[in-house]
Amino acid sequence: MKMKKMLGAVLGILVMWGVCQAQQIVLRVLMEDIPETWIIEELLPLFEKETGIRVEFEKMTYIGMHDKLVAQLLAPVNAYDLMQVDFIWAGEFPAAGWLEPLEPYVQRSGFDLSPYLPSMLDLVGYYQGKLYMIPMYSYTMALIYRTDLLNRPDLQEKYKALYGRPLMVPETLEEYVNICKFMTEYAGIPGAAMQGMRGDPNFLEFANYLFAVGGDFVDENWNVILNSPEGRKALELYVENITKAAPVGALNFTLDDTYRIMCQGGAWSFISYWWMLPNLQDCPNVAGKLAIAPVPGGSGVNGGWGWAIPWNSPHKEEAWKFISWVESKEIVRLRALRGHAPTRIDILEDPEILAKYPFYKDVLPIIAKAKKVPIFAYTAEMEDVVGREISLACTGAKTIEQAIADAAKGLEALLKKAGLLR
Amino acid sequence: MKRKRAGLAFASPGLLVLVAVVAFPLGYALFLSFTRYSFIQPNYDFVGLNRYLEAIKEFYFRNSVLTSVFYVLTTVILSLCLGFILALLLYQKVPLKGFHYFAMSLPMLIAPVGVGLIWKMILHPELGILSYLFGRCDFLGDPRYALFTLAFVDVWQQTSFVALVFLAGLRSLPKEPFEAALVDGASFWQILRYVTIPLLTPIIAVLLIYQTVVEIKTYDLVYVLTKGGPGVSTDLISYYIYRRAFLGLDLSGASAMAYILLFFSLILVFLYYRKLLKS
Repeated sequence: MKMKKMLGAVLGILVMWGVCQAQQIVLRVLMEDIPETWIIEELLPLFEKETGIRVEFEKMTYIGMHDKLVAQLLAPVNAYDLMQVDFIWAGEFPAAGWLEPLEPYVQRSGFDLSPYLPSMLDLVGYYQGKLYMIPMYSYTMALIYRTDLLNRPDLQEKYKALYGRPLMVPETLEEYVNICKFMTEYAGIPGAAMQGMRGDPNFLEFANYLFAVGGDFVDENWNVILNSPEGRKALELYVENITKAAPVGALNFTLDDTYRIMCQGGAWSFISYWWMLPNLQDCPNVAGKLAIAPVPGGSGVNGGWGWAIPWNSPHKEEAWKFISWVESKEIVRLRALRGHAPTRIDILEDPEILAKYPFYKDVLPIIAKAKKVPIFAYTAEMEDVVGREISLACTGAKTIEQAIADAAKGLEALLKKAGLLR
Repeated sequence: MKRKRAGLAFASPGLLVLVAVVAFPLGYALFLSFTRYSFIQPNYDFVGLNRYLEAIKEFYFRNSVLTSVFYVLTTVILSLCLGFILALLLYQKVPLKGFHYFAMSLPMLIAPVGVGLIWKMILHPELGILSYLFGRCDFLGDPRYALFTLAFVDVWQQTSFVALVFLAGLRSLPKEPFEAALVDGASFWQILRYVTIPLLTPIIAVLLIYQTVVEIKTYDLVYVLTKGGPGVSTDLISYYIYRRAFLGLDLSGASAMAYILLFFSLILVFLYYRKLLKS
């Protein structure tokens, strides 16, 4: 009898628990497994307390995310209620009709878009005039370099004796490549930790070189202008730097490799994502010896992630509730104080945050001036096609002229496939 | 007649599952390869053999086929030879046999992505153990060595499986031919050449077919280690097809390429079958 009562009580508790679980909405999100995600994850209990909605992050590395998201976006019902969209997919996903337009949500909730940097909204906000994403975090590219080597008296003297000008932060790409070669020869470590792996890494790195010499991939009417004197000059300097001033094996390096090399003090500089700087300050070999500057020439490649709601999300309203919470000024401040890479001007200029991260004053103009690579339905394939040609030029399998001409031809074919060119 | 019907009734659930998981995807991919279906423009307009002709005309697709042929030949020959030698060694009386079996099976138990990541760190020119011991060597960043390095990593993983199958084959061989050869005064090499290898022909044929198919499908190692580069030096066909589908969002083009690959794989399997198993 006693046993029966106990069993009944356990069953009752289980049923109650099941009912409670069934009532609570759970938002599932696929997130990249990086510090930005961990920071938000720490704050999730606040959202649950405020709204009663539980949020579950499924974390994975970047390389598998696109395929997983595409598979879900093709399904009748998405396993994820909201998602983060890399700028590389910011043309593909809306063009395929996979993202929910966000204007109605913004209007209904009175969400304020004005604090966002226009360059970020242009990158991971609007696609062809329609709002599909809310900027989440920025990874604009910049020059990060070692100040201890740049200010070393013997190196300064040697540089002046050789070139007749002082050794200082480069303002042009030619000067940058020259200093990299100089450091390789006289400082005893490679001048540039370069991410030369074919595809996304070398494409984005090369895009910085292209923008630095005043070139671009397309004009305002999507005509390809890559095969130009600027394009050839950019590739020539890129090949020169990777073959003469980069570590051994740079042709197969990704962002992770360049980070590890810089962290160990194995190179003088790298053109990389600006949030690398605070992360590198944790490396004993280089802590306190690093500074950030715009990519020589002025503009680096703009990069970032945005929040978006998939067309087939089972909980669209709740997903928007989460986006407006996580992007509210209060929460973004909390995120920024923990190391988040902001996309809002008010946060980048916040005195408390500036006191903790003084270099944000240098970062703000870098993000504001950054340029974007062509964002359209086949941006990911463009990275592959152009990246292949850059890599072929670096290995010497193609001449600079041939590689740039073939890259331009490949890009033109993709723009035609996307219907942007006739 | 009654027995036949009963057999069909018993087999039908299995057959239905087979149709659902094998025949349907294959049929759907074949259908797609005659259309211009893409994730961006999902329409099923019939275009005949155009997607096949476009694939064959593509320089980099042909290049990936040639790279794959070289890769498959290298990895299959090396893994079979090394696996055979390992099996012969383990077939002898050696101490700590259990430990050897365990150590040899380990690579086989690791997922290819894990194998790729392990070797990526070992081979890293700046941070890897090999560079630490022998000075900086650029195994994956130099187009002259990248494909061989990839093949080496693959062979490292595949050899254990090949050795185990050979070992099972050696153990199942009849003792009499070996005893007769010994009585006749045959040397070790003569026994190997005229008794062991001929008796192992069915095993060799099965391994050749299996390993060829496995190597043609190599994708994970390229994905983790090189992404097809430097240049196009490790751009294997499976990885090329994957990129067409998931970067180019062109499912019909990728299906046509996959069918070309399937066609050549079937020819190879058929030839192996005819030459080795039938004989």
